[in-house]
Amino acid sequence: MIIFYTLVKREIKRFLKVVIQTVVSPIISSFLYLLVFGVSLGASVKLNNGINYLSFLIPGLMVMGLINNAFQNSSSSVVTSKFSGDLEDIRVAPIPNSYIIWAMGLGGVFRGSLVAVITGVVGSLFHYMQLNELLYVSHPIWLLYFFAVGGLIFAFLGIFVAVLANTFDQLSAFSTFILLPLTYLGGVFISIENLHPIWQAISKLNPLFYLINGFRYSMLGQADVNLSIAVGVSLVGVLVTFFMAQFALTKGSFARW
Amino acid sequence: MKALEVKDIKKTYADKVAGKKVEALKGISFDIEKGQIFGLLGPNGAGKTTLIASITTLEKPTSGELLVFGDSVIESPLKTKMKVGVVHQEVINTGFFTIEEILDFQSGYYGIHRNHERCDYLMHKLSLYEHRNKKVKQLSGGMKRRLMIAKALVHTPKLLLLDEPTAGVDVGLRESLWKFVQELKNEGMSILLTTHYLEEAEQMCDGVAIINKGQLLFNGTPKDMIADYSQKKLILIMKNGETKEYIESNKVGIGELLTKYDIDIAEIQDIKIEEGRLEDAFSKMVSL
Repeated sequence: MIIFYTLVKREIKRFLKVVIQTVVSPIISSFLYLLVFGVSLGASVKLNNGINYLSFLIPGLMVMGLINNAFQNSSSSVVTSKFSGDLEDIRVAPIPNSYIIWAMGLGGVFRGSLVAVITGVVGSLFHYMQLNELLYVSHPIWLLYFFAVGGLIFAFLGIFVAVLANTFDQLSAFSTFILLPLTYLGGVFISIENLHPIWQAISKLNPLFYLINGFRYSMLGQADVNLSIAVGVSLVGVLVTFFMAQFALTKGSFARW
Repeated sequence: MKALEVKDIKKTYADKVAGKKVEALKGISFDIEKGQIFGLLGPNGAGKTTLIASITTLEKPTSGELLVFGDSVIESPLKTKMKVGVVHQEVINTGFFTIEEILDFQSGYYGIHRNHERCDYLMHKLSLYEHRNKKVKQLSGGMKRRLMIAKALVHTPKLLLLDEPTAGVDVGLRESLWKFVQELKNEGMSILLTTHYLEEAEQMCDGVAIINKGQLLFNGTPKDMIADYSQKKLILIMKNGETKEYIESNKVGIGELLTKYDIDIAEIQDIKIEEGRLEDAFSKMVSL
C-alpha cells in the first residue's frame, strides 16, 4: 500500500509543481471556447433536441478537459521520466506494473477532473450570466462514474503511447492525428442529430462519442445515446486500455531519450 | 550463501539499424561471495551495463540464470529487487523534485514509510544534507552522483550495484566515494562495481571479472590476474656500476632469472622490482 500511495503522491505532486502549465493553461483554453463558441456563436445555434447550445457545450468542454489532461498527465510523466532516468528507478524497484498503471491512472483522473470541474464552474457562471439560471447536475453519481472512467481510459492510453513512443514526434503524432479528431468528431461541440446520416453512422464508431454523451447525460439528463450503452462502452474502454498499458510496460523500451 | 550467482548468461538483441542480431553477452558466469567487493571490468561496449541491467530486470537475458542471495531474478523479480540497490551509469536529471522529496519517493518505492532517519543519515554521510531542499537541476555533477548513491541505499540493500559511479567525478570526490564504499563493505554489504579506474579496482576489489565483446576473459582475484597476465620489471644494479633491466612474467622468480641469464649473484649490488599492475594485465587481456 505504501508503494502505491508513493506512486500516486508522486504523480499528483509532479503536475502540481507546474500548475500553470498543467492546470491554468487548459482552463484558459476552455474559457476561450466558452466565450467564443458558447456565448458569442452559440446564441445563433439551434439544436434539434431543444437544449440551449451553451448548456450543451459545457459538458462537452468538461470531457475534453478531462480526457486531454488525463492523457497528457500520464504521457508526460512517462516521457519526462524517460528523459530524467526516473523510470529506471521505478522499474528496478519491487513495484508491480499494475501499481504503476493505476497510480498514473489516478494521477490522470485527478488532474483531468480538476480541469473539468473548474471548466464546469466557469461554464456555469457564463450560463448564469447569459440565461439567468444555474446549470444543475442531473445525475451526480453517473457524473462521478464518467469522471473516473474517462480519466482512467485516457491516462492508460497515455502510458501506452508514451512507453512505446521513441521520439516526441511519435507522441505528438498520436495526439494530432488520432486523439484530436476523435475528440472533435465525438460530439464535444456538436450533436450528431444535426449531422448527415453518414456522419452520424461514422460518429457512432467513435468510442469517445459514448463517453462524451454519457457525461452529457449525467449533466443534462439527455444525450445522443442510451446511458447503458455509454456505460458498457466506457467499461470496455477501461479494460482494453488497461491491458494496452500493461502490454507497453511489459514489452516497451525504458531506454533514456 | 552467495550474494550473486551469474550462470551462463546470454543476451542477444536485434540491431535494427545494422539489420542483424548482436550477441551482447555470450555465456557469462561468475559468483560474488557475501561481503565482497567485486569488480566487473571491460572496455566500453563490453557488456557490463547489459549484465547489470539484467540483474536489475531492466533487460531480460536470452538464456542463463541469475540468483541474488539464492533467489532467481527471472522467477522472483520482486523478491530480488528488494535486496538490490543500483547506481546507474547515467546521472538522473529530474527537474521537479528536491533531494529530500526524491529520497522520500525512493523509500516509498521499497515500501518504507517515513524513512527520515535513514535518509538524513545518507544525506549527512554523502554531504547532501545542506542541499536537501535543492532540485536536481540545481546540483553539480558530483552532487548528482552522490544523490544516486543515496537513492540506491535508502532501503539498505544487501547487494549494491555500482555502474561506473565515479565517471566524470573529480579526484577528491572519487576518493571519498571509494572510502564510503569500503565502509559499506565493512557493514557487510556485497558490492558489484564497474569502473575504468583499474588502479582503484586493484586496491578495492576482492574479486574481478574481465569481459570483452560479451565474453568472460578472466574471473579471479586481482592478484591472480596480475600474476597471470602482467609482467614485472627487474632492475639489477651490478657492483661494477652497470644496470641491467629484464621484463619477465610475474611468475618468474629471481633465482630463475639469474639462472636464465647466467648472472652471478655475487656481482649484484642491488635488485629493484617493479611489480606488474592490474592495468597492464587488463590491457594485455583485452588486446589478445
